[in-house]
Amino acid sequence: MALQRRISNQISTASSEDGMRRRDLLAAGALGLAAAGAPGWARAAGSKPQGKLTWALHVSVPATWLDPADTLGIISPFMILYALHDAMVKPLPGNSRAACLAESWTTSKDNLTHDFVVRDGVHFHNGEPVTAEDVKFSYERYRGAAHELMKKQVASIEALDKRHVRFHMKKAWPDFLTFYSSASGAGWIVPKKYVEKVGDAGFKQHPIGAGPYKFVSFNPGVELVLEAFDGYWRKTPAVKQLVMKVIPDEATRLAALKRGEVDIAYSIRGELADELRKTPGLKLEPVVLQAPNWLYFPEQWDPKSPWHDLRVRQAANFAIDREGMSKALFLGYCKVTNNAVVPYTFEYYWQPPKAVYDPEQAKKLMAEAGHAGGFDAGLMYCDSSYANMAEVSVNNLAAIGISVKLQPIERAGFFAGYTNGRYKRGIIQGASGAFGNAATRMASFVVKGGAYCYGSYPDIDELFPQQAGELDPKKRGAILAKMQQLAHEKAIYVPIWQLGFLNGSGPRVGHASFGDIPGFAYTAPFEDITLKST
Amino acid sequence: MKRYIARRAGYAVLSLFLLSVTIFLFVRLTGDPAALLVEPGAAPGDIAAIHHQFGLDRPLYVQYVLFMWSLFHGELGQSFYYQTPVMGLYLSRLPNSLELASVAMLFSLVIGIPAGILAAVHVGRFWDSAGKLFTLLGLSMPSFWVGLLLILLFSVYLGWLPSSGAGTPWHLIMPAFALGWYFAAAHMRLTRSSMLEVLGSEYIKLARIKGLPQILVIAKHAFKNALIPVMTLAGINLVLMINVAVVVETVFAWPGIGRLLYEGIAFRDFPVVQGCVILGGAMIVIVNLFIDIVYAFVDPRIRLGS
Repeated sequence: MALQRRISNQISTASSEDGMRRRDLLAAGALGLAAAGAPGWARAAGSKPQGKLTWALHVSVPATWLDPADTLGIISPFMILYALHDAMVKPLPGNSRAACLAESWTTSKDNLTHDFVVRDGVHFHNGEPVTAEDVKFSYERYRGAAHELMKKQVASIEALDKRHVRFHMKKAWPDFLTFYSSASGAGWIVPKKYVEKVGDAGFKQHPIGAGPYKFVSFNPGVELVLEAFDGYWRKTPAVKQLVMKVIPDEATRLAALKRGEVDIAYSIRGELADELRKTPGLKLEPVVLQAPNWLYFPEQWDPKSPWHDLRVRQAANFAIDREGMSKALFLGYCKVTNNAVVPYTFEYYWQPPKAVYDPEQAKKLMAEAGHAGGFDAGLMYCDSSYANMAEVSVNNLAAIGISVKLQPIERAGFFAGYTNGRYKRGIIQGASGAFGNAATRMASFVVKGGAYCYGSYPDIDELFPQQAGELDPKKRGAILAKMQQLAHEKAIYVPIWQLGFLNGSGPRVGHASFGDIPGFAYTAPFEDITLKST
Repeated sequence: MKRYIARRAGYAVLSLFLLSVTIFLFVRLTGDPAALLVEPGAAPGDIAAIHHQFGLDRPLYVQYVLFMWSLFHGELGQSFYYQTPVMGLYLSRLPNSLELASVAMLFSLVIGIPAGILAAVHVGRFWDSAGKLFTLLGLSMPSFWVGLLLILLFSVYLGWLPSSGAGTPWHLIMPAFALGWYFAAAHMRLTRSSMLEVLGSEYIKLARIKGLPQILVIAKHAFKNALIPVMTLAGINLVLMINVAVVVETVFAWPGIGRLLYEGIAFRDFPVVQGCVILGGAMIVIVNLFIDIVYAFVDPRIRLGS
């Protein structure tokens, strides 16, 4: 192992610290202290799980969410995976890359092999131990998001013995752990013997995992019932039974929460969220998603366009009242990071200077650019679900003389048009909640050839292959920071915010665990959820 | 008569075929299902994998032939979103929809028919005006709004009824009322106009001249004949209540076919939408065929004229 560099849990945390702000770490620490000290939801160690909590989900749960092999590139399946299954490495409070079923892991200096040690004494819900064979089987069985990409990079996986697994890369791939730990479902482990016995369909009907809760019953699109798994390695869950009911209508979810029919309700927006906040006994539980929103100027590479002038793009940046918009639409719970496309929770995140709302400065820049009287910018394309945000931006831009007409398009049509290069003129209001790190976001949204790029800048482009081949995380982080800084300075985008996702909890809930994992939309880890002691 | 039935059955099959083509094409105009299963910014390879998994990378005519092939084998394909057979999903939701539709239909008939008779008998007077107001409210108030008002009043403020879900008779009351309300108004309006037509006919006048009591004229002679179009409409409405109670089932989180259809549309789950529409359409076509045949038996002019 002389050639290998041990990456301990702490070291892996350190790399994630690049993506976490000091404030978040302090908050996470404070949360831990509160957990230990708050009598309302503290639980004596070794006590048995008790009681029941009911969730009102805003989306239907399909059977595919019960099987990590089918994890698609959206965050929603993880709301179930965190309860039913466990991963080798996954984000936990205070650690975006925490050792879970893996006790530890090491990466060779040349980045060509990754060795994992399976945690000693961990079991699936059926009592079978989690072994290296299960890890290998789960990886090879995986067919969800980023499956093709991983297949292209990983040459083979080897179970060295019962507790040791080795991944062999075709070539050095510094993003392996990003994808294995959080940007896919490939690292979530299922019991090989059981899956082989019951088959894929049988597994979806009665899944067995290694998570804090075991499967009880499931009615697709209606209800999922789970029960605490006493043998969970991290801790025994506090709540005995979890019931996850699908209630599609937002107002009905709030009514159910008010009546005490459910204890936790996802996605309560706008005026309903305000009502939730004002209702005694209920608690508004906001979280910030890993989904930044932005405005994009596809014409900026056309010398004839006003957007070609940096000062005009900077003026647009000064014109947007982000805080006002957040207060009006999301009760002020969106996070204004001023980084257009990379969420603050991502590895290699770079923190730009604070966003400034200054219409006068914007007008000054417009005048300097020769557009004192403003100009007609054509259409602003947006996903119709977020037309309310775009309306505010349209008004803000109008205030500095940029006239633009809103063109809301249904979600799928909008993103198809965006990627197909159909919106060559005007402004695009975009967003992304895709998994990955700063490099994957740069690849999609900034660098030449990116699926959502209408042009690029050579100085940024030439940095991209440099970071992709850099194996030293610090050096790579520096290159990616430079790329983000350049994108910011060139005002390729107007960053808006990272979207606030508003939820509610009822009076029976002690700790709901919303926001414990930065960027994650839902309650997790489930073993940390408690009932209020009476 | 046999020729008549055969022709009607032929029309029914043709209707279903046209429905299958229409829904197959229209559902594909709504956009790419993969766009809703990945986050914007997802790798093109992931999107291509989803297209391949769902068979969306095949030519349209191949997709249609496969769809019809599974239909002829009594299957409706595999749901994109749920990854389970659509037929299984449909059948699992059907009992809930039947339960809701039956109670809503009962409510609509119990309210709509007596109100319609009352309005027709007292035409131009208070009961008629009250009936007209009831019809106006029933037909103009959207069911989602009625549903939300019911939840606010009976669940949140009074705390008498559960706000959503299924399982007990208490869960059924509000969704059945919200669903039946619109149809009660429709049944009331048709009963009124049908009764007015019958009450103006010669044989009713004769019955009155003979000195039959008013109640007997209405109950024995007028009501029976006036009921035929109402029951025809009720039959079709029952099928609609079972299959397309989308709004009410969504508001009350009622696990029925309407909600399944809503989810199918929301997630661009083509097989689910196709399956729900085809089965709902088949029910309507079968009910219509049945009514046509019954009419032909009852009225020789229909079968001979055709």
